[in-house]
Amino acid sequence: MSAARSLAARQAELVLALVAGGPPPPGFAPGPLAAARAALLRKRAGEVARHWPLLAAGLGGRWPTVFVEWAAGRPTAGGLRDGWDLARTLRARDALPPLGAEELAVREAGLRYDGQQPPRRRRLPAVGRASGAVALQLAGRVRLLRPAR
Amino acid sequence: MTDLAADFDTWGIPSRTFLVFYLVATVVLVIGALVHRRSLLSGRTAPPADQLGPQQVAYLNGGEDLAVWSSLSSLRSQGAIGVQTTGALTAEGPLPAGVTPLDRAVHHAASQHHSARQLRQTEWVARALTELREGLDRHGLLVGSDRRAALRLGPLLLAALLALGVARIAAGLANGRPVWYLVFILCGLAAVTTVLFVWVPRRTRAADLAIRRLRQRNHHLAPASNPAHAVYGSAGLAMAVALYGTATIWALDPTFAEQAEIQRKAMTPGGATTSSCGGGSTAGASGGSDGGGGGGGCGGGGCGG
Amino acid sequence: MTGPHGVGIGWRPEIAGFVAELPGLRFVEVVAETVPIAGPPPAGLVELRERGVTVVPHGVRLSLGGAEPVEPARVAHLATVAELLAAPLVSEHIAFVRAGGLEAGHLLPLPRTREAVDVVCANVARTQAELPVPIALEPIAALFDWPDDELDEAAFLGEILERTGALLLLDIANVHANARNRGTDPLALLDRLPLDRVAYLHVAGGAEHGGFYHDTHTDPVNREVLELLGELCARHRPPAALLERDGHYPPAAELRTELDAVADACGFPVVT
Repeated sequence: MSAARSLAARQAELVLALVAGGPPPPGFAPGPLAAARAALLRKRAGEVARHWPLLAAGLGGRWPTVFVEWAAGRPTAGGLRDGWDLARTLRARDALPPLGAEELAVREAGLRYDGQQPPRRRRLPAVGRASGAVALQLAGRVRLLRPAR
Repeated sequence: MTDLAADFDTWGIPSRTFLVFYLVATVVLVIGALVHRRSLLSGRTAPPADQLGPQQVAYLNGGEDLAVWSSLSSLRSQGAIGVQTTGALTAEGPLPAGVTPLDRAVHHAASQHHSARQLRQTEWVARALTELREGLDRHGLLVGSDRRAALRLGPLLLAALLALGVARIAAGLANGRPVWYLVFILCGLAAVTTVLFVWVPRRTRAADLAIRRLRQRNHHLAPASNPAHAVYGSAGLAMAVALYGTATIWALDPTFAEQAEIQRKAMTPGGATTSSCGGGSTAGASGGSDGGGGGGGCGGGGCGG
Repeated sequence: MTGPHGVGIGWRPEIAGFVAELPGLRFVEVVAETVPIAGPPPAGLVELRERGVTVVPHGVRLSLGGAEPVEPARVAHLATVAELLAAPLVSEHIAFVRAGGLEAGHLLPLPRTREAVDVVCANVARTQAELPVPIALEPIAALFDWPDDELDEAAFLGEILERTGALLLLDIANVHANARNRGTDPLALLDRLPLDRVAYLHVAGGAEHGGFYHDTHTDPVNREVLELLGELCARHRPPAALLERDGHYPPAAELRTELDAVADACGFPVVT
């Protein structure tokens, strides 16, 4: 039993090191571990881009770098929430590309997301705004009223 | 006894008799008009759904705009069209093989650096669209001007009957006869006539059926499936736009869509909610695999597996 | 209820239209976690089932190698999907995907120790108790190893299969990846694996990145993997081989060529 617990602890250490910026667990070769960490981030970037195609397209060639910089050491909350958190971070830094702003506005209008709990569908009409983009949601249908510029 | 004249039936026809005949005529004409309309709108001569090209489907589904978007996206995916940051289109290289007249027109308009939104107004594209529309009309899919005129024959006859009724009411009132039953019938007839006159569908039932069939057969092209358009090629892309609208172009090529100012419709986030993963709370980690472009929602680890 | 036969392909919504058009296809696999159990299965899968195509649910998030017991809700989901699709078997990985409340987002390797064997066997037994059909276990491609391995790969897998009675889902690209990244001989591993226990094979593409071979599933299948596949089938041909592609999908013609190459390497009839 104590052996199983120690395996549990060591697995937790390893995951922490791979996705949350934890220290490398003792004994592991650092090179392969770093390669695994990078591969995980690449995979995550692809996953987030699937949920946020306009954000990724808006950043163009900078997308992998921007994402990896933001995501390194930050465990995933799923593609939808990761992209959402990143978009909000970029908005706060005034670094959100117009396409990403429009996508964020559309999402904010359609779903309620507090940054902690998984996003939930909004039942009442709502307006989403991001960097000049305005989206309106009525009865579940979202329409972009004003593009970002 | 000159008063007796007031007891004479209007036009010498007793009220009851007139009412019965008028009612019968109304019922017969309305049924006749409906049957005529039904047969005109059936589109019996229409070809089977799988013989329709993407641009025909696009025209039936969303009119001229969608036909143009469908052509544009297919040309774009074959590398035959580019766009400048100003939104002006460019023609890249020669036309691919097997293109339609509309493709040719769009490509030509692009070579003249029109913007995507102007395409419809250019002479070449407008002509190709007319051709497309006339073909669909001939095939019994679209309700063209001839069919529209024929559809109004029924309501016109009903209007004539309506006029007769109005005349009878006027005469009856002049005679001081009760006209309430007739007024009641006329109200109903007027409503039916108006509806049949005003409400003329864009396309026939055959077209409705064809679109339904094609949607069923092509559900893999729906934006919710996140289709891999590289696999389906330009024909698949053209059909996806035809059936599901411009959201497909936005999903596939957002930069082009933005620069070309492709109409933004139904931009509701697709597949973005937390559904479809087993075991909700941990719906965290990822599907697909490195580099992106695939994976269904929560696949957890395409790689290494 | 026949088991997988011949050449198959991983069914993904993105390529459902392509898969549906493969005339000779008898077998597909679907990522079990993407199949909803509340409503009907995806229409494309239902159509394949009606054609008599075998659909194998492939779990990716059970975390059979996790030190914590496998979550009952996940096992129940897998079992329900198997029933919904009338699957003859299901498959999962010898790996863990989460620990300490964190999702790794990927299949992670286990230490090849007796302790890990115990953990996997216990979780597989818990899963088997709820499943209506047999399970096949798939060894993963690992970019790194644990420092305290006691067993080699063949002994580790052999012991797990022996004790659980599970079938083997052998990913030939993973065999290639591990051998390439560890500098070992893939053929030596093939010679020691119980090839008669293989329910079906996985074949996938990968790419070199920073000195490592990555099993990406988003690149073409390379020649070495196909050669290894031929070697394996020459030793003992399993009943089926499945092409996995998860992204960066190529034009249909290229996918067909890959399917034909797999058929050719195994001596199976072409499905395209």
